[in-house]
Amino acid sequence: MMISTEHIQIAAYLGAGLCVGIGAITTGIGSGMIAGEGAYGIVKQPKANEQLFRTMLIGQAAAQTAGIFALVISMLLIYGIDMTIGGWFKASAYLSAGLAMGLGSIGPSLGAGYAGSQACKSVARMPKQGNAIMGNMLIGQALAQTSAIFALVVAFLLIYSVPNQPDGISTGHIIVKSLALIGAGLAIGLGTLGPGTGIGFVAGKATDSMGRFPAQKPTILRTMFLGAAVSESTAIYSLVVSFLLIFAL
Amino acid sequence: MELTLAQGIVKSAALLGAGLCMGMGALGPGIGEGFVAGKACEGIARSPENASLITRTMLVGQAVSESTGIYSLVIALLLIFST
Repeated sequence: MMISTEHIQIAAYLGAGLCVGIGAITTGIGSGMIAGEGAYGIVKQPKANEQLFRTMLIGQAAAQTAGIFALVISMLLIYGIDMTIGGWFKASAYLSAGLAMGLGSIGPSLGAGYAGSQACKSVARMPKQGNAIMGNMLIGQALAQTSAIFALVVAFLLIYSVPNQPDGISTGHIIVKSLALIGAGLAIGLGTLGPGTGIGFVAGKATDSMGRFPAQKPTILRTMFLGAAVSESTAIYSLVVSFLLIFAL
Repeated sequence: MELTLAQGIVKSAALLGAGLCMGMGALGPGIGEGFVAGKACEGIARSPENASLITRTMLVGQAVSESTGIYSLVIALLLIFST
């Protein structure tokens, strides 16, 4: 199968567009959820407005992380690669990197957004516990973003460590390798969606409970870590499957 | 590796299927387990004297939710290595 520079350009630009386009969906929704609860909290507790504003901004910044990862991958796909060499292997790797990071940022952003919105709600209810609530929110959001980092790692590997297509291999081999690379991107992209959302839900509920019952902080933290670790397991299975699809074939 | 075009298409479909299988299969368990753990956090905060009971129920519930994730992993590995 012949391939020209245009084919690689089509794959890379399509990947770049999908990456930041899909990645922006829940980054926007998540940040909006936080801002909504932040604004509504001021109605309920006008005296705590500075604390609420701070919690809202920090929460939004953490919720944007996965969107920034998507932007970085998108920029790399447009400006950071040599599109004249590599053949079908590189073309499918570029498309797959975009899909991996774009789909991979949906779950973590939604989760971080939920955690942040619960934190704003909780600060409005118990302004005295503001610092403990914000600390727990940040830990929970960091746990939710772990799966976005898995997607980032896979996207970097797809962009920079997939070999160029060697000369004289059969068409069958080209199709197998190319679709294996696209499968790797889809596995980690879709696979981080659930764990990211789930861990965000855990973090949100834990933050909310900590604001209501500050005395239970150690038990709540323990349960949050345990629950988040179990939810993360399917993201790790997806990471293993994508590594196998990239390197074992 | 010498493959005819038809064998290549079959193998590539299996690999793409493996990726989709693990990706979508991880979606449900992740959300479900997170929901369990979130509710457990809420429950432990409300009635701390039942913490060990709630943690046990949470872990059993998560293990059951995890099973479909493991089914997906098994099918993905089968599609990669035995087709």
